[in-house]
Amino acid sequence: MAKPRIIDADVHNAIAQPKDLLPYLPRAWHSYWLSAGPAYGGGWVSPISVLRKDAKTDDGGMPGSDPHYMLKHHFEKYGIDYGILTGSGILGISVNPNPDYANVLASAYNDWLIETWMKASPVYKGSILINHSDPQAAAKEIDRMAKHKDMVQVIMCSASRMLYGQRFFHPIYEAAERNGLPVAFHPGTEGRGISGPPTPSGYPTSYFEWHNILPINYMAHVNSLVCEGVFEKFPKLKVVAIEGGIAWLPHLMWRMDKNYKGLRDQVPWLKRLPSEYILEHIRLTTQPIEEPRNSEHLNQILDMVDAGRTVMFSSDYPHWDFDNPRMALAPIRKDLRSRILADNAMELYGLQDVPDSSPLATESSEGGVRP
Amino acid sequence: MSSPTARYPVCKVEDLKSEGRIITTVKGVEVGIFSVGDRYYAWRNMCPHGAAPVCEGVVCGTRLPSLVYEYKYGREQEILRCPWHGWEFDLTTGRHLVDQDVKLRGYPVEVAEGQLYLVM
Ligand code: FES
Repeated sequence: MAKPRIIDADVHNAIAQPKDLLPYLPRAWHSYWLSAGPAYGGGWVSPISVLRKDAKTDDGGMPGSDPHYMLKHHFEKYGIDYGILTGSGILGISVNPNPDYANVLASAYNDWLIETWMKASPVYKGSILINHSDPQAAAKEIDRMAKHKDMVQVIMCSASRMLYGQRFFHPIYEAAERNGLPVAFHPGTEGRGISGPPTPSGYPTSYFEWHNILPINYMAHVNSLVCEGVFEKFPKLKVVAIEGGIAWLPHLMWRMDKNYKGLRDQVPWLKRLPSEYILEHIRLTTQPIEEPRNSEHLNQILDMVDAGRTVMFSSDYPHWDFDNPRMALAPIRKDLRSRILADNAMELYGLQDVPDSSPLATESSEGGVRP
Repeated sequence: MSSPTARYPVCKVEDLKSEGRIITTVKGVEVGIFSVGDRYYAWRNMCPHGAAPVCEGVVCGTRLPSLVYEYKYGREQEILRCPWHGWEFDLTTGRHLVDQDVKLRGYPVEVAEGQLYLVM
């Protein structure tokens, strides 16, 4: 069978109408959901909106809300074999002040995802949404949903009250490792709900300013995961840092390695250089890929982070900062490009063959036709 | 060798005025036709940044360069914003507002008896 050519590691599937979630949500929470939605408040307004203006569905519905339209408008158009669905408008439930509400919403969303998206096409692979502010409940949800073979990772928002290496979160990592799933985090809710301000010195003024600085939260989480020994405790765990950028990582790795030489005795459980844990356990996604004036600089950065094993293509469809796989990766060296477009995600998510609905699936590599 | 140019009828002026913009295909190329005041412009429906269908973007005005903490609005209906990353293009010149070297590809438009023609 043919191997995938493009796997998109960040595709946003939206809930078309709030009422669509009701069949999956306990009755006690119906009116709350209908009146308040995910309710994690705040946020910065983008002058051009977060959703692509050209991605409304055929009947004028919200971008990302129709699995069949998305197949045409995104997957077929760019020859994408698999998309990892990362949700939309509901990722931040972990920073809602009420953990009971967040727990039922996570479960309702996951059940809805299976019924609505997983059943629509085998190109869709799901992320199990969890509420990270209740790690015990999150671990249960992981065990419950991991039975579905189309759920290929765990996802939570990157906004948080606490840094992700801390022991409070370890039940989540334990459950993910037990089920053989990576844990991903996704930006967009920094500074909202009960999370800390998006910078250590408080709140940026504009969406522009806020969006520029999202990677600092990623630096903080990755640093914490390594230093707190998460990867010693859970040696099979992989963590996917979605949409947080790439170019900051060499800086962080070098700084951590340098400090480790002098300050190692504060983290005696670390057996290797911090950068080695990072390259083995952290995976990054491309979008929004950095666009330096001299594109050779991008290749240099990719080499510094060993992108041939750590970086996966993502488009962020249908969000405003969408990356077109044909254009966005053009500056990247050929040998790296195919690893980034498909191979790294194939290995991480175990997606070895193109799905049955792909045009490639009907012809074997020898030229014969499959039964 | 480039093929000889010809005039292609694309739409009626009144239709363009009532619809605001028209996106059509001429010689296999998607082109957006816009009217700004009483002038007409045709831009290829392909953003030079990431190849988005740029002509489907919002036609709007923008905040003009100003002093710190001053906001001056202007150029109403003269700016085309790409539907993906929001790059602002001047509808009358096709140039990106920040980077003058980045340009939409344009085609001459001619008018005769209420009919618009594209020269390609
Ligand atoms: S594709 Fe038009 S601004 Fe990026």
